[in-house]
Amino acid sequence: MFSERELERYQRQMLLFGGEGQERLKKAHIFVAGAGGLGSPISLYLAVAGVGTITIVDMDVVDQSNLNRQILHFDRDIGRKKTISAEEKLQGLNPDITINAIDVKIDESNAAKLIGNADGIVDAMDNYPTRYLLNTAAIAKEIPLFHGGIRGFYGQATTIIPGKTPCLKCIFPKAPPKEVFPVVGVTPGIIGTIQANEVIKYLLGSGELLTGRLFIWDGMQAHAEELCVERNPACEACGGITGSKTPARKKK
Amino acid sequence: MTVKIRFFARFRELLGTDIMTDVASGTMFTSLIATIARKNPAGYAAIFDEKGAFYEFVILMKNGKRVELEDAATTPVADGDEIAVFPPVAGG
Repeated sequence: MFSERELERYQRQMLLFGGEGQERLKKAHIFVAGAGGLGSPISLYLAVAGVGTITIVDMDVVDQSNLNRQILHFDRDIGRKKTISAEEKLQGLNPDITINAIDVKIDESNAAKLIGNADGIVDAMDNYPTRYLLNTAAIAKEIPLFHGGIRGFYGQATTIIPGKTPCLKCIFPKAPPKEVFPVVGVTPGIIGTIQANEVIKYLLGSGELLTGRLFIWDGMQAHAEELCVERNPACEACGGITGSKTPARKKK
Repeated sequence: MTVKIRFFARFRELLGTDIMTDVASGTMFTSLIATIARKNPAGYAAIFDEKGAFYEFVILMKNGKRVELEDAATTPVADGDEIAVFPPVAGG
């Protein structure tokens, strides 16, 4: 059930998907890995949409050089933990949801536990080794992984449903070398918003997800396209598994 | 015969994209990409290692189907092929 305040807050989107859709969002728990360039728009839009529980994990402190793109964090937050800043902003935007902000580095030993019983994982990381950990956890838990990546004016996104679509290792078996990547804030804004849109559609169980499709954005050309991607039957992460749960219709 | 080569992300910054090129029959995937990439040494160095092999993170596709890196040197291109070469985009 919704309070008067919630009914008013979500009025315009309930015109789209009704009270039933809003209830699905409210019951959902989404895990956002990272409170940086991608994690900012993702968590902001999931919070205002009314996703009931958002766990957001980051190990960093806000740095001045983050502020060209990490719009969760303000100038006054420099030197503060990103998790504290994130919790404050997200809770401030929507006091009717639960925010779990966890200040820790995601690694092999804690990934599964941190994700817990979340309904989906959003990849807002800046490196492939951690992305592969999220991929492994998504496969083990049979929950979707909403992938995004950016560099400069370029970005990519895809929605991974374990057992049904290619996993991250099928598409990108090897990590590129680490670098200090150039970036302008609009790029994670665009890709993060696409990821959040995927999460919302998945939770509502409507629309067409970016499954089996790698969305590619070229901001310089203002051109978006997609490449079909396929499962690798010999994939070391997901080879041999088949999806047993029906995506987007899983009820708690 | 003519093939089209599409680079993405950083490779596109260095080498451009939608390159239409005439190639001789029997040209292999790797030699074609290497020839195009050599037009910019930085572009070549982003895709190939010092031994002239693709970096292991490079993704190759031909007409929407993946070409494994180990097969690229022995995979011929055909008239009208559309070839995609891209890196995983890693930032967040």
